[in-house]
Amino acid sequence: MSLKIVPQSIEIRNNKIEFDNLLFFIVDSNSSVKIEPLIGYDAIIIDAKDADFAKLILKKIRTHYNPEFYLKPVFLINYKESKDPILHNMNDGLIHSYDQLKDIADIAKQIFLKTTQLDYQLVATFEAQMVKKVLNYMFTRDLKTLKPIPDLNSAIGYTYPEISVNFDSTEETQVLEILEWAEKEGIIWPDFYERIYLCNQCNGGFLSYREVCPHCNSSNSSAQDLVHHFPCAYIGPLSDFRNTIDNSLTCPKCNKALRHIGVDYDKPSIIHHCNNCDKNFQDFFVKAKCISCTQDVEVQYLIPKSINIYKLTKRGRTAAGNGFLSSGKEVEDIFGAISMPVFKTLLHYEIERIKENPEQKSCIAIINTENILELYKKIGKKAEKSVLETIVNLIRENIKPTDFIAFENSSTLYLGIINSEALQAETDLANLKTLIEKLIKNNFNDFDVKINFKVKLLQPFNKSEFQLDELTKELFD
Amino acid sequence: MRFLDEFINYMSSVDAAKLFRMFWFFFIFEFFRFFLVEISTIIFWKFDSIFRKKGIADARLSLIKNQPLVSIIVPGRNEGKHIFKLVNSLKEQTYQNFELIVIDDGSDDDTAVICRNLEHRGMINAFYRNDVRGGKASAANLGLRFARGEYIIHFDADCSYDRDAIENILVPFFYNPKIGAVGGNVQVRNYKESLCATLQALEYYDTISIGRITTSELGIYRVISGAFGAFKREALDRLGGWDIGPGLDGDITVKIRKLGYIIHFEPTAVCQTSVPVTFDRLIKQRLRWDKSLIRFRLRKHRDVFFPNDSFKFSNFISFVENVTYNLILNVKWYFYLFDMVFNFTSQLVFIIPMNIVLYTVNNFMKFLVFSPFRDRKNEGITYFLIYIPLMVFYFGYFLRIVRTVAYVQELFFKASYKDSWNPAKSSRQAKALKL
Ligand SMILES: [Zn+2]
Ligand SMILES: [Zn+2]
Ligand SMILES: [Zn+2]
Repeated sequence: MSLKIVPQSIEIRNNKIEFDNLLFFIVDSNSSVKIEPLIGYDAIIIDAKDADFAKLILKKIRTHYNPEFYLKPVFLINYKESKDPILHNMNDGLIHSYDQLKDIADIAKQIFLKTTQLDYQLVATFEAQMVKKVLNYMFTRDLKTLKPIPDLNSAIGYTYPEISVNFDSTEETQVLEILEWAEKEGIIWPDFYERIYLCNQCNGGFLSYREVCPHCNSSNSSAQDLVHHFPCAYIGPLSDFRNTIDNSLTCPKCNKALRHIGVDYDKPSIIHHCNNCDKNFQDFFVKAKCISCTQDVEVQYLIPKSINIYKLTKRGRTAAGNGFLSSGKEVEDIFGAISMPVFKTLLHYEIERIKENPEQKSCIAIINTENILELYKKIGKKAEKSVLETIVNLIRENIKPTDFIAFENSSTLYLGIINSEALQAETDLANLKTLIEKLIKNNFNDFDVKINFKVKLLQPFNKSEFQLDELTKELFD
Repeated sequence: MRFLDEFINYMSSVDAAKLFRMFWFFFIFEFFRFFLVEISTIIFWKFDSIFRKKGIADARLSLIKNQPLVSIIVPGRNEGKHIFKLVNSLKEQTYQNFELIVIDDGSDDDTAVICRNLEHRGMINAFYRNDVRGGKASAANLGLRFARGEYIIHFDADCSYDRDAIENILVPFFYNPKIGAVGGNVQVRNYKESLCATLQALEYYDTISIGRITTSELGIYRVISGAFGAFKREALDRLGGWDIGPGLDGDITVKIRKLGYIIHFEPTAVCQTSVPVTFDRLIKQRLRWDKSLIRFRLRKHRDVFFPNDSFKFSNFISFVENVTYNLILNVKWYFYLFDMVFNFTSQLVFIIPMNIVLYTVNNFMKFLVFSPFRDRKNEGITYFLIYIPLMVFYFGYFLRIVRTVAYVQELFFKASYKDSWNPAKSSRQAKALKL
């Protein structure tokens, strides 16, 4: 309800500004932290006087699974140079006053233009979806590289803002996994930047290295030269040769003074003495203590990782605009489901069958889980497969043995429902939707999965691919 | 055949006086010292052991009750390949309260890598390495410096030990507190590998097993073998450890004796070593050993021949015995040779075979008589019997010539200072200090 003094022709009412046919919303420290109401605005301006609050809002927007949010132009006002890489890198422009609305309006329009060119193709797997999200962001912002930025808040010491924004700072290793995956897919190309070592227990990158006693792991030790007196073959730490009177060094065995290194004595090595267990040793361990989980680990067991600067490959540049299809191998071997090519073949046979028996009716259905990406992020990609298998099991229990299932990707699946009227299939799927939602809620910490589905009667005179495309389009429109 | 007849005829015509005149060397030295003295000592020792039995059993009990910490030090150079085997065999020992300290004297192979690994795995208690080579004495001293045990046992990396070897070598310390050092019984492991090794096995039986029982009993035991020797920690500390080698084993034995301790040989503490399998390697080894006699007996420890504070009659005897039967004996043998060549020129054809016969008969006798006194044999008597006739050539000629060469080199050229066994820096120092 504030009214701010701004140049004429610009009027702020209830934190809204209309300028150049664009509707801006200003988020300031009085605003709600809920971002869903922002969906109707073309661009957001965050008052960054309170940097923490600004970061919270920015992160919420960029983390959102819906492109309407994560691709939204976001600008900062009252921004003071901050060390936070997210706040610093994930905004679309800075303004000092509302005089500069013209500049940011142009930027926003550029982003919209690019956004319309995007193809929201569905992709398989969590990594692919994450990469798609990042590529979309990069495409709309004209970014060509992913640069690591040293960051004290990141568990591994580096942040890739465009990806890291989707994760908590403690989950930063997932970012590396996604980058590795994208590199394997040929989307990005690495340029070595730095090598890091991570804790083998918690993947933390904040390690304190020190020399420790091989017997008791204490770092409380002191080192001395060993001295070998040639004439009598005595050998011992330098302190054996010291006396309390002067600075001369005298052999404790033969009482002769040490004269000239290399002539009558030398220092063949170094000896460490542990003040904790009183043992002597030469080969100390270098151990790394993890600051996050306090585990003390020998350096050879640390996990080495390269931190690279990633450039988009040609494939990556195309994929950024047009979307890409990953191999999707990850979802092919889910027990109880068949692969997409097999699904299409079976569908083709079914079309042939109903062509000959017009009184028989069959349906196809698509089930899409809108926000399952969030779940995978929480439970880790390794659990992804078991989630999918659980879902398939549940569906299998509730459909006929002749019906068939295939995954398009880890959030979308198709069903072939044989000998069923559309209305019956519709009811069955509504039931399934409830069952799956319950299953996920019960098994994964009350996670509310959003499920959409669409059912269509199988047409005898259209190709299977065409019918599947129609079905998909109808679901997403 | 005709020669054999003539030989027998000639020999049967010789009377006792002439026989002694012709074979004086054999009768005085070989027969007296190495047969009569030894056999009587051994018989006495065997007889005496009946009375020692109780004391030894008590000593063993006392050792087991006290469980003193023992530091096993294994100095060596490029011995890494043997260490793992050694570590494994030590697990079998009946006495287990020991720490194993391996000292690497500037190896230029994988020794450091192997030993560090074993150290990390807790299979070696400590591994110390001199990146710069310092000689065997300094390596042993480095081990000693950081050893924590009350007793120090010196091992060679390439030897293996009977499962009760450590226990048996420690028992004497509890039997007689005056004992400062105990030598183990070194046997030849690879005696079947070549003729050279078999002959050495026979030699070790004779001079090491039997010979050391005798010298130990007589209190004139000279050299505690580096392969297996146990020392009271306090004795070594008083001496500041080992002095520069070669011959440091004999040297430290003498010095401990000089401190007033008894040196004991323990035949039941058995260690097996691999000996050189070829004669040229054996020659190299013996040249090194024999040179040390000159260097340490005659140069460094000259004082034992002259009465002074540390003078002990037994030390004196030990030295005299050693010097006599090694150096002097060697000279005397040549003297005998000349005696025969000049005074019995025409009978030489009979004297040489007769000598061989005498020695061989003596060797057979010794072998058969002493065999029952050996507690532990690595092979039945019969295996070695056929090799006995060769002993006269091995002992009487081969080793004697090698020894002569060594003595000549060392006496006249001080060759051991040039020996690559020690790094140049130590040898230079030792020579300057007349060590
Ligand atoms: Zn950790
Ligand atoms: Zn000195
Ligand atoms: Zn320690």
